[in-house]
Amino acid sequence: MTSGALRKGPLKPVGELLNYSRKYSLWMFQWGLACCAIEMGAALAGPRYDVMRLGVIPFPASPRQADLIVISGTVTDKMAPAIKRLYEQMPDPKYVISMGSCANCGGPYWDSYSVTKGVDQIIPVDVYVPGCPPRPEAFIQGIVLLQERIQNEDPADRWAGKHWEPIVVPASA
Amino acid sequence: MTDETATAEAAPGPSAESTALLERVTAALGADAIVESGEACGDLVVRIAPDRWRDAATACRDQLGFDYLSFVSAIDWMPAPTLSEEGSGDTSSPVQPKDQTYGVAGSAGRFQVFARVASTRVPRSGLTLKTDIDETSPSVASWVAVYPGADWHERECWEMYGITFDGHPSLRHLYLPSEFEGHPLRKDFPLLAREVKPWPGLVDVEPMPGEAPEAETEAGEAEASE
Amino acid sequence: MTLGTRPAGFDVDPSLYRHLADAQVNVELDTGDMILNLGPQHPATHGTLRLVVRLDGERVVASDVVIGYMHRGYEKLTEFRTYPQITTLINRIDWLSSFANEVPFIHAAEQLMGVEAPPRALYIRTVLTELSRIATFVLFLGEMGLQVGAITPAFYGFRDREYVLNAIEAATGGRFHPNFNRIGGILTDLPWGWIAETRESMRKILKSCDDFEDLVVANPIFQQRTRSIGIIPAELGAAYGVSGSNLRASGVDWDLRRDGKPYLAYNDLDWKVWTHPDGDSFARYWVRLQETRESARMVLQLLDNLPAGPVMAKVPRIIKVPEGEVWVNTENPLGEMGYYVVSKGATGPFRVKIRTASLSNVSIAPWLLRGVYVPDVITVLASLYFILGDIDK
Repeated sequence: MTSGALRKGPLKPVGELLNYSRKYSLWMFQWGLACCAIEMGAALAGPRYDVMRLGVIPFPASPRQADLIVISGTVTDKMAPAIKRLYEQMPDPKYVISMGSCANCGGPYWDSYSVTKGVDQIIPVDVYVPGCPPRPEAFIQGIVLLQERIQNEDPADRWAGKHWEPIVVPASA
Repeated sequence: MTDETATAEAAPGPSAESTALLERVTAALGADAIVESGEACGDLVVRIAPDRWRDAATACRDQLGFDYLSFVSAIDWMPAPTLSEEGSGDTSSPVQPKDQTYGVAGSAGRFQVFARVASTRVPRSGLTLKTDIDETSPSVASWVAVYPGADWHERECWEMYGITFDGHPSLRHLYLPSEFEGHPLRKDFPLLAREVKPWPGLVDVEPMPGEAPEAETEAGEAEASE
Repeated sequence: MTLGTRPAGFDVDPSLYRHLADAQVNVELDTGDMILNLGPQHPATHGTLRLVVRLDGERVVASDVVIGYMHRGYEKLTEFRTYPQITTLINRIDWLSSFANEVPFIHAAEQLMGVEAPPRALYIRTVLTELSRIATFVLFLGEMGLQVGAITPAFYGFRDREYVLNAIEAATGGRFHPNFNRIGGILTDLPWGWIAETRESMRKILKSCDDFEDLVVANPIFQQRTRSIGIIPAELGAAYGVSGSNLRASGVDWDLRRDGKPYLAYNDLDWKVWTHPDGDSFARYWVRLQETRESARMVLQLLDNLPAGPVMAKVPRIIKVPEGEVWVNTENPLGEMGYYVVSKGATGPFRVKIRTASLSNVSIAPWLLRGVYVPDVITVLASLYFILGDIDK
């Protein structure tokens, strides 16, 4: 297929340009569940942490127009089917940021009878942003790290499902 | 009518307001409806006979002037299961006493439904009502006809404890998905996550920068559950 | 605020703000009812709330509110945790005003133990509670504008929230979820320069409230969208358990800071309880706006009179709360929040019943939404102002 065709050879600049344009036009599907949604909201709508300057637009009208979903908050067993359904409605290539410890691993509710211990049990996650709640700066760092990965990736590899490691936003950076 | 909590160290008797309120409640309901009463840190707690539960609500609203419903909920008095042994050094999970005791105003059995009503016109007014529930067939009258807000509270009670409310329009799940099995707030409903992997307690005690490492038991209650 | 030239004959008579279209458009057509599902993922439902409405054209015939998408099982979790662990956890019930969630629980444990926090700790707790109230309310003021279609107030709301979060973070270390209360007082004293900076922030908040008044309250579109929409009668509200600003907007003069058992430093302050007689969505917005101003003034008074002294009473290292039961309810930003704590003398409680304001506030929604139009559903929900964590625990 075209695997590698856009990464080396004469079409490499085209690949770079496509990646560049993809990373700076991420449309983020708002999936604010709990407290992390407020920090996500502060990052998006707050004039202080404005994330739109990175090209991330948080207002797609439906999941079919989004390429980034940020699960911010506790995932409960009742909500999990809805998350799965909406994730499947997103077109490829799509990215998932799991924000906050509830979405990463169940968080402070790890022993609850109604909480899904981490959203990675349902959908594959690209970036883990730890924190309870993570500061808006940490969330923006997660987006920036994701953008760096997008710049260097080959969409064909992603489509083929080649193995990739999720990014974990470091605690001290 | 009996009034006093069983704690010996909380020596003073019921306050004047509680006594006066108890008299009003007795006058409104009749002394046969009240099984026992007590005081919980300044608040009057009255245990009502199970078949007079709805009358108690009507009396509260109409005669005692308690127009505001705070909540309706339940307590399961079965002794709590123990996750860690006393003296094991794990101070992070509380060890509950094994003996069967009941709280203020006593109880006849395992389950109790309790409710709190208050008045929006009189400051510092309020009443806690309790009633006993038969363990083999847990059910009690519903308050929906008197306080419409009891609707959701009773649904929650049913799904968490399995107590049915006669006269409730539609007793169905409120918080949990409809396929959920079991009644989570009962003491015999296990938290599977803790049984599969017990909380390790204070395993990693990191010293603060510049400090010598502390002994494990000295660090006391864990403030780091984040 | 002058709005420039208006068409002749346009005046601000409130009777014009009734539902404009009373004509039944579906009279000749035999239309069946449609069932519409709003949520649980929806930008306008404030989180994971699901509303199932049966519509006749644009008008809601019946509605059902499905909650539980954020149910984390708090009451069960508290049975397996010690008191300090629970303090960390209950911050996250009402996640906008997180400090205010800790206060009734800590107060309950202190009552059972017979411990009293020193006056300085009480004052600082009051300051932080009122700051949480301001943080919640300015977000409401901005976000309700967003729900009825005005985007600018949302940015103002988040900007003002940042002033307050800066103050809370400087004092406690966490923007929200501070986990600052301890049984017997608070964790540490305030940092140097905090009082002066917070005074400055409060002045900015007061100026910002004036901006909200000009921008939103005086706006005729906002008035048309919110006047006479979603009227809660006072007696029915009380019977449903509606509390807080929602009940005060229906004319009920009841505020637990003044009318409940004394719990923080409110009796030392000179402040006013705001009510509004109408009970519609506009009244709920207006009451919260006035309460934001009032809270800012209260913070200024508290900072002027902050007593000196320790911030923590003497409590044992490992907290074992004696046997007993206690009910503590406080005026949280969303309404009446209370904890009924049953203790059997262990390091953790036997049973904690968490009474949250939003559960009762939203339980009136099926009644309230009968006969309103679909856009008004959003307005009504926005004006009730609930937090899903507060509903679902």
